[in-house]
Amino acid sequence: MDRTLKALSLVLSYPTRELQGAMAEVGAVLASDTRLTAAARRDLRPLIGEMEADDIYDLEERYVMLFDRSRTLSLNLFEHVHGESRDRGGAMVSLVETYREGGFDPATSELPDHLPVLLEFLATRPWAEARAVLADAAHIFEALNERLVRRESAYASVFAALVQLSEASIDRQAVAELMAQPDVDPADLEALDEVWEEAEVRFGPDPGAGCPQAREMLARMDALATPAPHSAAE
Amino acid sequence: MSHLLDRLNFLKSKEVERFSDGHGQVTNESRDWEDTYRNRWRHDKVVRSTHGVNCTGSCSWKIYVKSGIVTWETQQTDYPRTRADLPNHEPRGCARGASYSWYLYSANRVKNPLVRGRLMKVWRKMRQTMGPIEAWTAIQNDPILRASYVETRGKGGFVRATWDEATEITAAANAYTAKTYGPDRVFGFSPIPAMSMISYAAGSRYLSLLGGVCMSFYDWYCDLPPASPMTWGEQTDVPESADWYNAGYLLLWGSNVPQTRTPDAHFYTEARYKGTKSAVICPDYSEAAKFGDVWLNAKQGTDAALAMAFGHVILREFHLDRQCAYFEDYTRRYSDFPMLVRLERKNGHYVPGRFLRADDLDGKLGEENNPEWKTVAFDEVSKGLVAPNGSIGYRWGEDGEWNLEERAQDADTNLKMSLILEEDHDDVVGVDFPYFGGQAFGQFATDIDHPEVLTRNIPVKKIKAGKGEVLVATVFDLFAANYGLDRGLGGHWVTSDYADDMPGTPAWAEKITGVSADKIIHVAREFADNAEKTQGKSMIIIGAAMNHWFHMDMNYRGVINMLVMCGCVGQSGGGWAHYVGQEKLRPQTGWQPLAFALDWGRPPRHMNSTSAWYAHTDQWRYETLTASEILSPTAPEGDWDISLIDYNIRAERMGWLPSAPQLKTNPLEVVKAAKAADKEVPAYIVENLKSGDLEMSCEDPDDPANWPRNLFVWRSNLLGSSGKGHEYFLKHLLGADHGVMGKDVGEEGRTLPKEAKWHEEAPRGKLDLLVTIDFRMSTTAVYSDIVLPTASWYEKDDLNTSDMHPFIHPLQAAVDPAYESRSDWEIFKSIARKFQEIVPGYLGKETDVVALPILHDTPAEIAQDQVKDWKKGECDLIPGKTAPAYVPVERDYTAIYDRFTALGPLMDKLGNGGKGISWNTQDEVDNLAALNGVQRDGAAAGRPKIETAIDACEVVLMLAPETNGEVAVKAWESLEKATGREHAHLAAGEHHNKIRFRDIAAQPRKIISSPTWSGIESEKVSYNAGYTNVHELIPWRTLSGRQQLYQDHLWMRAFGEGFMSYRPPVDLKTITADVQDEGDSLVLNFITPHQKWGIHSTYTDNLLMLTLNRGGPVIWVSENDAKSAGIVDNDWVELYNTNGALTARAVVSQRIKDGTTFMYHAQEKIVNTPGSEKTGHRGGIHNSVTRAVPKPTHMIGGYAQQSYGFNYYGTVGSNRDEFVVVRKMKKVDWLDAEKAWTAPAKEAAE
Repeated sequence: MDRTLKALSLVLSYPTRELQGAMAEVGAVLASDTRLTAAARRDLRPLIGEMEADDIYDLEERYVMLFDRSRTLSLNLFEHVHGESRDRGGAMVSLVETYREGGFDPATSELPDHLPVLLEFLATRPWAEARAVLADAAHIFEALNERLVRRESAYASVFAALVQLSEASIDRQAVAELMAQPDVDPADLEALDEVWEEAEVRFGPDPGAGCPQAREMLARMDALATPAPHSAAE
Repeated sequence: MSHLLDRLNFLKSKEVERFSDGHGQVTNESRDWEDTYRNRWRHDKVVRSTHGVNCTGSCSWKIYVKSGIVTWETQQTDYPRTRADLPNHEPRGCARGASYSWYLYSANRVKNPLVRGRLMKVWRKMRQTMGPIEAWTAIQNDPILRASYVETRGKGGFVRATWDEATEITAAANAYTAKTYGPDRVFGFSPIPAMSMISYAAGSRYLSLLGGVCMSFYDWYCDLPPASPMTWGEQTDVPESADWYNAGYLLLWGSNVPQTRTPDAHFYTEARYKGTKSAVICPDYSEAAKFGDVWLNAKQGTDAALAMAFGHVILREFHLDRQCAYFEDYTRRYSDFPMLVRLERKNGHYVPGRFLRADDLDGKLGEENNPEWKTVAFDEVSKGLVAPNGSIGYRWGEDGEWNLEERAQDADTNLKMSLILEEDHDDVVGVDFPYFGGQAFGQFATDIDHPEVLTRNIPVKKIKAGKGEVLVATVFDLFAANYGLDRGLGGHWVTSDYADDMPGTPAWAEKITGVSADKIIHVAREFADNAEKTQGKSMIIIGAAMNHWFHMDMNYRGVINMLVMCGCVGQSGGGWAHYVGQEKLRPQTGWQPLAFALDWGRPPRHMNSTSAWYAHTDQWRYETLTASEILSPTAPEGDWDISLIDYNIRAERMGWLPSAPQLKTNPLEVVKAAKAADKEVPAYIVENLKSGDLEMSCEDPDDPANWPRNLFVWRSNLLGSSGKGHEYFLKHLLGADHGVMGKDVGEEGRTLPKEAKWHEEAPRGKLDLLVTIDFRMSTTAVYSDIVLPTASWYEKDDLNTSDMHPFIHPLQAAVDPAYESRSDWEIFKSIARKFQEIVPGYLGKETDVVALPILHDTPAEIAQDQVKDWKKGECDLIPGKTAPAYVPVERDYTAIYDRFTALGPLMDKLGNGGKGISWNTQDEVDNLAALNGVQRDGAAAGRPKIETAIDACEVVLMLAPETNGEVAVKAWESLEKATGREHAHLAAGEHHNKIRFRDIAAQPRKIISSPTWSGIESEKVSYNAGYTNVHELIPWRTLSGRQQLYQDHLWMRAFGEGFMSYRPPVDLKTITADVQDEGDSLVLNFITPHQKWGIHSTYTDNLLMLTLNRGGPVIWVSENDAKSAGIVDNDWVELYNTNGALTARAVVSQRIKDGTTFMYHAQEKIVNTPGSEKTGHRGGIHNSVTRAVPKPTHMIGGYAQQSYGFNYYGTVGSNRDEFVVVRKMKKVDWLDAEKAWTAPAKEAAE
C-alpha cells in the first residue's frame, strides 16, 4: 500500500478523535516521503498540527463548512468535472467499475468520486498508474488549492501536495476555466456583472452569425461543463 | 452492356460488401467508437418514480439505474389511455423534473446527520455523566448553555453526527418537552401530503402518537381559498386537466398554465385546436396571455371589480331582461337564490340579516329536528313557506331528506326565486349595501367618489315570525341589487345602462381595472352565451395570484358567482378550476388513519398554521391593520374594535379555531389534577377555565409556558419559502440575526390588544430545538439545530396523486438513499424507536386531553347559530358547543415505536370514514393482517404490521374507497342513508377492484369513484367537482345545502361580506417615514408569482435551472418605473419596507404593469444573494418584506360550512397587499463565507 496516498486520504477524511490520535503517525508518513518536496512536506505540517491539537468540534465544523457545504470545494471530483450534467451518473458508473476491476467493492456511503475514496484506491495501485490518475485530476487539485489558499485554509497544502505528486504540468487553461466563474471579487461590481451578462441579441445584416446566446451556450458546452455559476458560499 | 466481365461469380471479396445498388458499403474498420454510445445509454434496470416536492404535475417517470447509480430519467408513457374523443394524458413531465437526476448527486445534498457544533459539544459532555433526557434537561435549565447554540442559528457551525446521536437528542428533547410543558409544545410542519403521502404520514404519525401538533399548510401558503368552503362546504375540489378539453369557453384568470402547469398545458392547446375560445385575465403579458383570444390586463388586485362587472352583464342579459331557462332552473335547484333573508333595521334603513330559519316561524314548519338550521323559501306549489330538503339541519339527527330533490316536508315544491312581481311582494324598501371602493389608496384610488353605503330598493314580503313581523327578501333579489341592476323599482344606485359610472357596471369597472368596458361586456356575453348553449361548459381556471390578496374572498366569490349564475359548476367542461397548492390526496380516508395515528388515539392535534405563526413569531406585535379599517359601515352593533389577534383569541375560545399549545398548563398535568380532584376531565377544565385557574395559551403567546418548544420541518422549506414574515421568524421564534426594521405596537404607542397579554419585551428564541429533515441544505436547514438527511425521490417508496389527473402512481427506491440518508419513514421510525428506548421511567402510560375545535362534517358543526362568548357571560361554557371539546386521549409513551409500526385497534372498534360518512372497516383490517403480517411482540402484538414504507402504502390503499372498490361500495351505501337516494351504482362492479402497491408500480391506475369527493371517475365524464351534487342530488355541505352565494354569519355581515363586492387592497403601512431613506422614491406593489425555472418539481438552488434564468434572485419591473429610479436591466436592486429587505437583480420588462414588481416565489437566499445595505445581513427572501395578516372572517367556526377543518378553513397568510421601496444598490457585498467557519464565537460552555 502506498502509505502516502493513504495518509492523504485520511487527512481529507472527516475529522474524528481516532483520526486525531493517528495524526502523529500520518504526519510521520508524509514527512518522510521524498516524492514530496521539502517545501510541500513543510507546508503540510500546520494542517497536521491543527488536526492533532485543535478542538475536535472546531475541526468538524470547519470540515463541514468547507467540504460538505461549499460546492466549489466539494471533494466529489465529478462535481468539478461534470457539475450537474447528465454525464455524472455514467462517469460514476465507470469509476465504480474501475474499483471492481481493481478487486475492490466500495464499502462506504460516500459516492465513488469522493476524493478520499479515490486516494485509498490509488494507494493500492502501482505508483505509475496512480500517478497517471492523479495527473488527470491535477487541474482540479490546483483549483481547490487556489481556493483554499484564498480562504487561508491549511487544507490547501494537501492539494498542493497532490499536484506535486502527480508530476503533471498543470493545464493552466483548465484551471482557469474552473477558477473563472467563482473567482469573482465580491466587491467588484463590474467583474460580477460580466459573469451574469447575456450577450445582446442583434438582428442585423449578418444573419449567418446566428444567435449569439446559442453560440455562447454551445461554446460553453464544448468546454466541458464546468460547474455552472458560483454559489454564494464561494 | 453486360456487367458479366466486371462481376465475380464464384468468389466473394473479404474486403467490402456493397448493397443498395452500390450506394451502401460494408466496411471492416473498427466500430469500437460505437461502444461509447452504447455505454452512455446502458442500464441495469428502469424504475418508476416521480418528483414529489409539491408539484401538481404528478408525472410518472422512468429512472434508469446502472451499477446502483441513477444515470438518467425519461418520461413514462404508459398512462392508461383516456376514452375516445379525448386526448391522452402523456407525455407528462417538464424540464424541471428532467433535471432531477443531476441533482441527486449534487454537492448540495446533506450527506450525514448534522448537529449544531455548539450543541453537540455540550450534549456529549453532558452525556458522559447523564442519561439522554437528563442531559437535555440540564442544557435547557442552564440559560447560558441554551443560548450557546440558539444564538448561533443561521451562522454555520455544523458537525456530523451519527443517526444514533441525532435521534437521541431529538427524542430526548421531545420527551422533556412533553413532560415539562406538554406534548402540544412539539410542533411539526410539512406540506402537501399528496405528493409523497407516506413521507408526510411518517412525521405526522410520530407526532400524533406523541400528542404533538400537526400544522396545516394550505391556509398558511395562502393557496387555500376560503371562498370554496363558504360556498360549497368543500375545499378545492376541482376538475382534472383533461376536462379543460370538454370546455366550450376557457377563462384563465390569474393562472399561467403554460408556465406553471407544464404537463397539463397540452390540454389547453388541444382545446384551442378543438375550437374552444379562451380569454386570459392577468396584469402582465404572461405566457398564458399569448394563448388568449382576448387578453384583459386588469390592474393587479382589482379582479373583484372586473368580476362584478361581468356579473352585472350576465345578470342583465341572461337573468333579468331575458331569462335563460337553463340558468333559471339551475340556480333555483342548486343555489341559495330562492332562500329568504331577514332584513334588519339599522339607522332607519334595512340591512340583509340572517337567513330565515324554520325555527323563526310559528310551528317551525313542522320541523322538530334542528329547525334553527333549516333555511326557508317560498314555494309556488303550496303558495307558502317551506324548509326545502337538503339544508344542513337535515344532515344531522335524521335520515333521508338531506338531498336536493325539489321537495320539502314530504311534498314536491317549486321554489320562487324573486319577489319582483307586484303580487309577490308586500313592500319595496331601501336596503343598505356597503361600498368599499372609496377606501382605495395610492395607485388603486381611481374611483373613490361613491359613498360608503349604497341604499337600493328591494321587494320584500312581510311575514309573521314569533312575536312580531319580519321583512324577508330572496337572496336573488338582494344579489341582483348588489350588482347595481335596475329592475324598475326606482331608488338609487341601480342602473340599466352599462355606461353609467355606478358600482357594478362595466364603465365603473373600467375606471378601477383599466380594462375597457367593451371588452368586459364582450367576454361576459361570450362566457354566458357558451354556458347557455352547452349547459354549463364554461370554465374558469384560476391561480394563486387571485387568492393571495387580503380580500381574496371577493375575487373568488366574484368568479364563483359567475359560474353559478351560468350553471357551470358540476357540469363536465365547466366550473371552478383552482389549481393551487392543495394537490388532491385522493385516497384521503385511507391515509388519515395512518397519518394521524387514528388507529391508536383520536382526535389528533391539528393546528391552523397562519394563526399559530402569527402568534408565535410575534407578528401580531407589529400589526398595522386595525379591525375598524376593514369593518363594514353596515356592521351590526358589537364590540368590533379589537386587534386582529383578539379576534383569533375569541375564535379559539369559542371553539372556532384550534389552539396550539392549548392550555398554559401541561395537559398531562391537567388530567392528573382532574383525577386528583375526582372529576371528569372536561368538567374539571370547564370549572377551572371559568374560574381562571386554567388559561388558554392563546391569551398570552409570549409567556414561556406557551411557547412552541420543538419544531420538526420536513418536506418543506418553511423559512426559505413559505414563511410570511420571514424576519419575524428569525427574530422571535429562532432568536437569530434578523432584519426586522419596524417597531411593535407598544414601542409606537398604538392601541394594545385587549385580549392578548402584552409583554413590554418580546421573547427571542422560543424554540429549544429545530429539526429539519431534508436532502438539501435549504434555508430552513441552515437555521436548524439538527439536520437529518432524507432520501430523495428516487430513493424511497411512496404514493403520489394529484388533482390534475385521476391516476395514483408511486415513488420507488430506484437506488438506496445516497450517503447516510434515510427515507422519511425510516427517519421517524428511528426517532420513535429511540424515544421508546429512552423514555421508560420518565414518561409512561399517560392520559392527555386534546382541545378539539368544532369540526366541519361532524354533527357538532351546527353548534352556534348565534355568536356568544362564554367569557363575556353571554352563554355557558359547554365543551363542543360554545367552546372547544376537551377529549381525553390515552398515550403510551413506552410504546411509541410499537404503535408506529402497527395498525392499532381503533380501526376495528370505531371504523373509518371522512367528510361526515363512516363505515365499518374490519374486513380491511383483517386483509391487512393477512397481507402485511402481524407484529409478534411488543405493545402491538397481533396487530397488522406497518414496518416498511410499502407496508404503509398498502394500509392507505386498502383502507381508502378510492383504491379499494369494496370500501367504495360501503362508503356509497353509508351516504345513501343520509340522502335517502340510491348512489351505489357509482361504484357498481368495483367491488373486487383492489389496487396494491405493485399494481401502481406496474402502471399508473385510475382511482375509483368515492363519495368523499364530489366528482366521479367514469367512461363518460372526466373528473369534475360538484358533479354528484348536480347529478346525484347530494347536497353541498353548506347551511342551505346549496351553493351558497350569501353568507349570513354575524362576522361576515359585520365585515361587509354577506355578498361579494369589490374591496381594494388594504394599506399595510409598511413604508414609514422612519424606514424610507431620502431619495428613494420608487414604491411598488410586491407580487410573488410562480416561476418557470424552479419550484414544484425541483428547487431554485438547482444550478442548471438557475442558468436558464439569471442565476440568482431577480425582480421584474416595468420600463417606466425602472427609468424613474435610474435602474437599468440587470442592475442589483434592493427592496425594503418595515418587515425587512431583500436584494435581487432587476429584469426591466415591458411585460410588467407600472406600479408593480414581480419576484418569483421561493428563490433561495443561500445562492447568489449579496448582503442588504439596509439590514447588513444576507439579502433576504421574497418573504423578508412580508408579514402575515389574518382576517377575522376566516376565523368563523361552529357554523355549518364555516366550521374548522384541517387545511379546509381558517386564517390564511395573504401577502400581495405589500408595498416595497425599490432602489438601485450602490455596492454589492457578498458577505463572503470564506472565513465563515471561524465565525462562531467561542462558546460560553467552555
